[in-house]
Amino acid sequence: MHIIDRYAYNNRIRNVEPAHKASLSLMVLLLCLMLNKPLVGLVAAGWMFLLAVGLAGIPARTFGRVLLAETTFLILTTIGVAFSISTRDPGSITDWAWQLGPFWFSSSPDSLYYGLVLVTRALGCASAMNFLALTTPLVDLVDLFRRWRVPPLLIDLMTVIYRFIFVLLESLDRMYMAQDSRLGYHSYRRGMISAGLLGSRLFIDAYQRSQRLQIALESRGYTSELRTLPSRYKDDRTVLWVSVAVAVSLLLVWAVGNWVIGNWIIV
Amino acid sequence: MKPILEFEDVHYYYPGQKRSALQGFSIALPVGEKIAVVGRNGSGKSTFFLHCNGLYRPQSGVVRFDWQPMAYNRRSLQLLRQRVGLVFQNADDQLFSASVAQDISFGPLNLGLSDVEVRRRVQAAAELCEVADLLERPTHALSSGEKARVALAGVLAMEPEVLVSDELMASLDPWVRLRIFDILQQLHDQGKTILMATHDLSVVRYWASFVVVMEAGQAVFCGSPQRLLTDRPLLEKTGLARVWWRVEPSFPNEEG
Ligand SMILES: Nc1ncnc2c1ncn2[C@@H]1O[C@H](COP(=O)(O)OP(=O)(O)OP(=O)(O)O)[C@@H](O)[C@H]1O
Ligand SMILES: [Mg+2]
Repeated sequence: MHIIDRYAYNNRIRNVEPAHKASLSLMVLLLCLMLNKPLVGLVAAGWMFLLAVGLAGIPARTFGRVLLAETTFLILTTIGVAFSISTRDPGSITDWAWQLGPFWFSSSPDSLYYGLVLVTRALGCASAMNFLALTTPLVDLVDLFRRWRVPPLLIDLMTVIYRFIFVLLESLDRMYMAQDSRLGYHSYRRGMISAGLLGSRLFIDAYQRSQRLQIALESRGYTSELRTLPSRYKDDRTVLWVSVAVAVSLLLVWAVGNWVIGNWIIV
Repeated sequence: MKPILEFEDVHYYYPGQKRSALQGFSIALPVGEKIAVVGRNGSGKSTFFLHCNGLYRPQSGVVRFDWQPMAYNRRSLQLLRQRVGLVFQNADDQLFSASVAQDISFGPLNLGLSDVEVRRRVQAAAELCEVADLLERPTHALSSGEKARVALAGVLAMEPEVLVSDELMASLDPWVRLRIFDILQQLHDQGKTILMATHDLSVVRYWASFVVVMEAGQAVFCGSPQRLLTDRPLLEKTGLARVWWRVEPSFPNEEG
């Protein structure tokens, strides 16, 4: 959370109109889902990586680390799709079966292919969303949603929840340090007790904070909507042109795969 | 003396608390003064302040603003909060937005001003409080003193007639403190009323033109600093004399 947020506020395309960045990400997302080919997903992920690193100046390691966290979940789920496990011999359903103790692992060209499609498609989609998250702070997104006429209630909730995540993380941090500095975690037993106390305290803290926030908002004339000034952005169309290039290249990859190489499995 | 804010026998207790936070609290605050509110921890300063723009409603007693008893309907409250600006003791309670600029713009927008005017006020308030270079920063990446200045800017941008600040100076460095005193002086010169809770007795001595001393939910003194300094029995009773003498050895002590 902290690391994503840090780059969202400090990158080279921070002041670019968020609509451009969001359009790029959403377009890549949609293309990955609709075209549904392994190579398209890979090329999309490659593009997003290049743009994040080259255009926005996000360190390659950071982009990789965020993606890696997501990919771990992804691979675990894909294994379930590509391979099946059972206690009986799958027999004639597929040629690819291995016995390991009491279990049978089996797979087939089709399920491997689905696994591959799933991984690459998700990789493309995740990269697209990471690009947006790493280059656009939530304030700008909220701004954008307001312009896109998302219901005000949802927007206010997003604003407050986002702020509260940090307020609570900070309390958590402070309380933990306060306990630690008074030896609250010097043994396993004390540690469990301290953690319990911290948890309940954090809950009360969150509740009281929400009440105080309500009062403070009313004090500045809050009635029913958290209205704030929209930010102003640089007039820079680079990202729009890049979006066109990305879209064309993804469609090209798809077309070449389909018509030139035929239904070759990787494409 | 024309009172701008008057409290008459106000009682307020927090649910579940044995002792009332305000019990028979009565004061009359003159318009256009620099008012310092002092008192020990838990004496009720913050509770008093939350009554000043109708955030808390007394369980008994009357609060008058500008001669009128406060009305607690939506429209009157909206008007009241436009005229009385409150800076909270803990800035974290006040900041809700992720961006500093947006947070400061919240109050002025609620006044129904145009975007152009709001932008002007945000910029002016930010420059006044020396947070202009923080405008694009996220609120959670500020130090507590910076947060306090942003919170102040958010209230000043509403241009209230009465500025109520709850221990504003506590987390500020001496440079900014001087600067804030200059700002307060400017506001004072424009005829605005300033209320400040403080634990810094030199503020009472050298800045305030009117002092309120609180003890256990009551105002035990209400008047000019000169009068307070000569009210020996009160100084002794509240223990202010001893404290004062410690922090300021030149302060006339028991022996004279
Ligand atoms: N949210 C609350 N719930 C219950 N009791 C409260 C609450 N806030 C304050 N009190 C109690 O009300 C009394 C007055 O508190 P208040 O915050 O007004 O004091 P204060 O003069 O501002 O103190 P400080 O100098 O520490 O800021 C205290 O006895 C306190 O324990
Ligand atoms: Mg207080």
